[in-house]
Amino acid sequence: MPENPSSTARIAGHPIHPMLVPFPIVCFVGALCTDIAYARTADLQWANFSAWLLAAGVVMAVLAAIAGLIDFFANPRIRAHRTAWLHGMGNGVVLLLAVFNNLVHSRDGWTSVVPAGLVLSALTVALMLVTGWLGGELVYRHRVGVRS
Amino acid sequence: MTRRAAVALAAATLLAGCGDAPFDRQSQIGPNPVLPGVQQYLTPPNHLAKVVGWKQGQAPSVAAGLAIRPFATGLAHPRTLYTLPNGDVLVVESQGPGIEPVLRPKTFVMHWMEARASSGGPTLPSNRITLLRDANGDGVPDMRTVFLDHLHSPFGVALVGNDFYVANTDAILRYHYAPGATRIAEQGVVLTELPGGPIDHHWTKSLVASPDGSKLYVGVGSNSNVMENGAEAEHGRAAIWEVDRASGAHRTYASGLRNPNGLTFEPATKQLWTVVNERDELGPNLVPDYLTSVKPGAFYGWPYSYYGQHVDPRVRPQRPDLVARAIAPDYALSSHVAPLGLAFNTGTALPAHYAGGAFIGEHGSWNRPELNGYRVVFVPFANGRPSGKAEDVVTGFIDGKGQARGRPVGVALDATGALLVADDTGNVVWRVTAVQATASGAEP
Repeated sequence: MPENPSSTARIAGHPIHPMLVPFPIVCFVGALCTDIAYARTADLQWANFSAWLLAAGVVMAVLAAIAGLIDFFANPRIRAHRTAWLHGMGNGVVLLLAVFNNLVHSRDGWTSVVPAGLVLSALTVALMLVTGWLGGELVYRHRVGVRS
Repeated sequence: MTRRAAVALAAATLLAGCGDAPFDRQSQIGPNPVLPGVQQYLTPPNHLAKVVGWKQGQAPSVAAGLAIRPFATGLAHPRTLYTLPNGDVLVVESQGPGIEPVLRPKTFVMHWMEARASSGGPTLPSNRITLLRDANGDGVPDMRTVFLDHLHSPFGVALVGNDFYVANTDAILRYHYAPGATRIAEQGVVLTELPGGPIDHHWTKSLVASPDGSKLYVGVGSNSNVMENGAEAEHGRAAIWEVDRASGAHRTYASGLRNPNGLTFEPATKQLWTVVNERDELGPNLVPDYLTSVKPGAFYGWPYSYYGQHVDPRVRPQRPDLVARAIAPDYALSSHVAPLGLAFNTGTALPAHYAGGAFIGEHGSWNRPELNGYRVVFVPFANGRPSGKAEDVVTGFIDGKGQARGRPVGVALDATGALLVADDTGNVVWRVTAVQATASGAEP
């Protein structure tokens, strides 16, 4: 058995990237939920929740991306996986969508969510399902970051 | 719905504002403004002139036949001017209450922008009224006193007989005024509580007494741009209140007025007029701010619609019942100019051209790429109605580099009939006279 592709950005042997990715995932899924709640109720509290979740999600996504990019560029064996490229680029698009979504959510009232904000939130989550799956492939199939 | 969805999606994927055709701002001055379609941004244009202040010897420019000089300098955010019967000029120096909570990430950005645009600094004493006495009317005050201190974000003032009223952001206070007094030391009595906190987004409370002195009229601005802080935050707001001077009881005189200021009675018809700051973030040329007579019981649209039945897509639930009875205002002043002061020229000291018309202080725009406002304009009146295009009277508040030397707010006539302009960013009160008046004075 060859050695597993190792993570570079890690703490005490634990890769940092998987510690951070739950934050944007939860934030962006949460924002989709609160967007739906706002679209159904027109209660502005939900739109405010969405704005905060999207802002926090982008901050944490950037941190997760930094850790992921360090792993990606520091180890050619990770870059050798086509899945790693797709995972990284796909999440780049997720981050871009979320940044745009923040701007749309900075509008006032109904049009901060319906329809553009809601559509962007749904696209973000749909794409995360794919990129998340690819991330799982890297760890659970290709053992990226798993101690040998 | 499909078309709107398509438009919104297009806006979400493209950066707005590329290759806009030039828009004629003059088309939005007068009774029937051109209203372009709603344009929602990814990032609304946040262009506020950077504050540089006035250097020694600098002054605004004035229209032909007029001269301008500083009447008082070194003030702290002067906003409203009021001339007492004996000729003393009151300068209301005021700062916002600063209690708007951060409800969204956007609020951070907005607060940062506002901090850039204000001046005076927190260290200068403000929230007070300064009295200026120019006994010989030469345009140089002989006496300057603190007339009333420790107020709570004051804006409007009015004198009826010996009762002096101050509209703080959260209450109308009454004080006894003895003619000739240079200072009021007593504690005021609350006549009527006004909507102050929480939030207090539009905090300025404009005040005027009815010509017979029996009523007070108060402008109460909205607590948001377009009700994005919820309907409950808007209770009693975006309206002009009529307050009974004897009892303090109030009723809504007119509503749907997003941020009404400069409440003034037109001298010929004795009708109430106001200038109103309309909503932001619908495009550089929406929605025009306006000057209007105030019809009792009328609804002017905010937040559901603007200029009559133009529905604002950002407000839910919509209220077609209210939109149906919304009326259009009288006279558009162009978009985002931020009119805050209004005074009718009742004097004869200025050139005859200005007789009977309205002077309007336009604080200036932030929500459009090209600055608009930052000037005092004159709207001619005939038979109690606007009778022509607004024209520039005092300009030059923006320097050649697009930086703000000052920003005009309140306007008033002094006892000689000269026009006074409060500049809350330059911290100056300017005095505009006819050229002939200056020729007899000390300076050429």
